[in-house]
Amino acid sequence: MIDNTSNTINIVISGVGGQGVLTLAEIMARAALQESYNVRVGEIHGMAQRGGHVICTVRIGEKALGPIIDPGTADILVGFEPIETLREAKLLKPQGKIIMSTHIVYPVAVSMGQAEYPAHEKIVSLLGEITDDIFEFDAMKLALEAGSSKALNMVMLGAIIGSGFIPISKETALSVVRDSFPKRFKAVNTKAVKMGYNAIS
Amino acid sequence: MVKPKELLEDSTGKTVLLLSNEAIARGVLEAAVRLVALYPGTPSSEIGNNLTFMAPHLENFYFEFSTNEKVAIEVAGAAAIAGVRSMMVCKGPGLNVAADPFLTLAYVGVRAGMVIVVADDPSMWSSQNENDSRYYALMANMPMLEPSDPAESKSMLLEAYKISEKLELPILFRTTTRINHTRGPVKFGKIPPRPDKVSFEKEPFRFVPIPAVARERHPKLLEQIEIAKEISETTPLNFTVGEGNLGIITSGVSYNYVLESLSSITQSAEILKLGMTHPLPEKKIADFLSRHKRILIVEELEPFLETHARRIAQLNNISVEIIGKEQGFFPRTFEYSTRIVTEALCKVINCNTPINWEKIEAKASGFNELPPRPPLLCAGCPHRASYYAIRVATRGKAIYPSDIGCYTLSIAPPLETADILFDMGSSITTACGIASVTDQDVVATIGDSTFFASGLPGLANAVYNQHRICLVVLDNRTTAMTGHQPHPGTGVTGMQEQVPPLDIAEVCRGLGVKYVKVIDPLESLIDLIAAVKDMVKWTRENHAPAVIISKAPCALLSAAERRKTGVYPPKYYVDSELCNSCKRCLNRLSCPAMYLDPETGKAMIDETLCNYCGTCTYVCPQKAIKQEESA
Repeated sequence: MIDNTSNTINIVISGVGGQGVLTLAEIMARAALQESYNVRVGEIHGMAQRGGHVICTVRIGEKALGPIIDPGTADILVGFEPIETLREAKLLKPQGKIIMSTHIVYPVAVSMGQAEYPAHEKIVSLLGEITDDIFEFDAMKLALEAGSSKALNMVMLGAIIGSGFIPISKETALSVVRDSFPKRFKAVNTKAVKMGYNAIS
Repeated sequence: MVKPKELLEDSTGKTVLLLSNEAIARGVLEAAVRLVALYPGTPSSEIGNNLTFMAPHLENFYFEFSTNEKVAIEVAGAAAIAGVRSMMVCKGPGLNVAADPFLTLAYVGVRAGMVIVVADDPSMWSSQNENDSRYYALMANMPMLEPSDPAESKSMLLEAYKISEKLELPILFRTTTRINHTRGPVKFGKIPPRPDKVSFEKEPFRFVPIPAVARERHPKLLEQIEIAKEISETTPLNFTVGEGNLGIITSGVSYNYVLESLSSITQSAEILKLGMTHPLPEKKIADFLSRHKRILIVEELEPFLETHARRIAQLNNISVEIIGKEQGFFPRTFEYSTRIVTEALCKVINCNTPINWEKIEAKASGFNELPPRPPLLCAGCPHRASYYAIRVATRGKAIYPSDIGCYTLSIAPPLETADILFDMGSSITTACGIASVTDQDVVATIGDSTFFASGLPGLANAVYNQHRICLVVLDNRTTAMTGHQPHPGTGVTGMQEQVPPLDIAEVCRGLGVKYVKVIDPLESLIDLIAAVKDMVKWTRENHAPAVIISKAPCALLSAAERRKTGVYPPKYYVDSELCNSCKRCLNRLSCPAMYLDPETGKAMIDETLCNYCGTCTYVCPQKAIKQEESA
C-alpha cells in the first residue's frame, strides 16, 4: 500500500470482453480520485471489445501521466479468467501480486477444437515463474451467489480492496459503487464487493 | 459511468474523472459551442455519445449524428460561417471522407470559431489504417492543436476557439486513441450562455470559391498562416520544461512517455512540448535547436515534427544532430509507450534500460502459445445467422465483399465471409468491380448505418450500370460497433427526438432496385437460406442488383432491453441424450456462449453468455439443442 503520492501504483486488469473490465477500472479510478490521488486509466474500445481479450490499466500516484503499463512494471495483475491472466503476466513486476478468478471462459478456438485450454496446474506454475504472490478464487461463483454473473467485476473490486494493496478504503469503494449504478443493482453490487473483500482478507 | 448529467453540472472548480472524449464534450459547453455535427467512429465515439444525451437539456444547442463525415463537416462549417461556434468530430479515416470540404474550408474560412476534432488510431485498435492526420493540417494549411491528456483536451479546446476566431479559420484538433481513451482528473470551468439564432450575412465572393474567388482566397490563407505563426511563437501551448544538454521535441501523448522515461532513468533534458503543431513556432524551434548539440524527436507515426526540425535547422544553418525515425531510433508504426522512449533514449545516451525487457519477453514467450481470443461476433448476434445463411446458400463459393462494422469480424473461421474491404460503403462498389470482370457470384454485406453513410451512391451505381450483385443489408437497428448511435433508419435523432425513420427497403426500391426482400434472420434461418439462393439466381438471370434486408436488433440491445424489463425468454440447452458430439454447432457458428464439456465431450450452452438467438437450434442435425418450455 502506498501512503503518499510519490510512488505510482500500476494495476493491470485483464479479462474477456463483456466481463466488466472497463467498468471495474473506472470505479477504481473514481475511488482513487475521491481519496485525493492523481489517477490515469487506459482503455481500448470498439473492435477490441467484442468478446475478445480486454486489458485495462489503472495508474495511481502523482507521477502517473501516460495510460500504458509496460512489461515488468505492474504492481498488481487482476485476472478475470485464467488464460487471460497468464496472457498479461509479463506486465507484472517480479514478485508482484496476482488476483485471479479461476472461472474459465472457453475461447472459441478451444470450443472448435483448434486449440487446447491449458491445465490449471500449468497456468499456475507459469505464473509462479513471475511471482509467488498469487490469490486465486472462483469469483464467478461468488458473483452468482451475490445475485448476478454481471457482478463479477464487483467481486474482483472487493478482492482488490481487500488485498490492502491499493490506497482505497472499502467505504470509499462502496460509496462510489452505489453512486455509479442504478438503484436496482445496489444490493447485488454491494453484496458482491463485500464477498470479494471477505474472500481475500 | 460518467453520466451525461454530470457533464452538464454548473459546478466550476469541481474535479471529475473524465475520459478525454468526455472532457471534449464538457469543453463544448465551456466554449459556448452552438452546433456539433459528427458521424461516430472509434476512438472518437464518446464525444457524440455524451453530447446526444446532454443536448435535450441545453438551450440554444443543436447536435446531430450526421449521415457521414462529409455531411457533418459541411453542416458544422456552414454554421460557423453563419456566425456561431461549431464543431465536427471524426475518426482518422473519417477525415478522409471529409477531405474535400476540409480543404475548401481553409480557403473560405469561418466567421465564428470552428474546431474539427480528429481521432487518429496508432496501432489500429479499431481502424483500417493508422493514417497520420497531421498532414491534413499541412496540406490544407489549417492550424492544428494537439492535446496530451484529458485536462488539456478541455483547456486546449477553449484555446482552439479563440485562435479560430482570431484567424477566421477552422482549427484541426488532433487526438489519438491513447488521448481519447485515457481517463484522468479534469477541472470544470464556467458554462457561458450560447447565442440564440443568428442571421446569415451574404458574402458570396468569399464563400463561393469559383476560380476567381479561390485565387484570392489562397493568398489570403497564406497571410492568415503568417499571423498564425506569430500566435504559435507566443502561445503558452508551446513551452519548454526541464534543462539539460539533451533536447527533446515532442507533442501529444508522447509527452507523457518522455517525462516518465526521463524520470525512470534519472536523465535530465530540456523538453520543447508543442501543443500547436501547425504552423510551428519556427523561431522557437530554431532557438531550441541552437541551444543543443543533440535533439531527440519523439512522436508517434510519421516523422512530421522531425521533418520540420530538419527543415528549420537547414534554413537557419544550425549544426545540430537530430535523432528520430530517419535513422531508425524510433518506429514509424504503432503506438508508443514509456518503454519505447526509454529504449531509444538509452541507445542515444548509451545506458542500460532500468528494466531488462528482452529477458521479460524471452520468459513470456512460453505464454504466447495460449489459445487466442480475438474479438468475434457476440453471442446472439443476428449477423452470425445471416452469414451462416449466406455461406450455406452459396456453399462458401461466392465472393463476399464486406464493409466497416462489427460484421467485418465474419472474416474469421468458420464464417469466412469477408473477402475485400477498403472503406465505408466499399462492399457495394467492390462487388460491382468484381461482378464486371468475373463470372463468380458476388454477395456483399453492409450494415444499416454504413448503408446510409456511404452505401447509397454505390447502390445507385449498381442499379444504373446494371451490375449483377447480391447485397445483404445487415440491419441491426443501430450503429453497433461504435457504441449504438442512432442513424437515419432508427427514428431517433441526435437531439433524442422521435422522427419518421427512413425505410431501407423503400430507399432501395426508390433507387431502382427491382428485387428487395426483408427477412428476420432469427425468425427463420431456413427461409433466409432459401432467399439468398433465390437472390443469387435472380441476379444471374436479370443482370441487375438484388437486395435482402436481414433485419433483427443487435444482441447487445436486446440484452439491455431484457435487463431493463426483467423479462427473459425460456433458456436454451443441449439435450445431452441427443447430442452425439458431432461439434457441428461449435464448428459452424463459433458462438462464444457454446463450449465442449471437457468431461462428457458434449456441446454445452453457457447460460450466463447466451443471448437467446436460437440460431444453434437450426444448425444441430440431431435437434439436440432445445428451448425450455415456458413456465
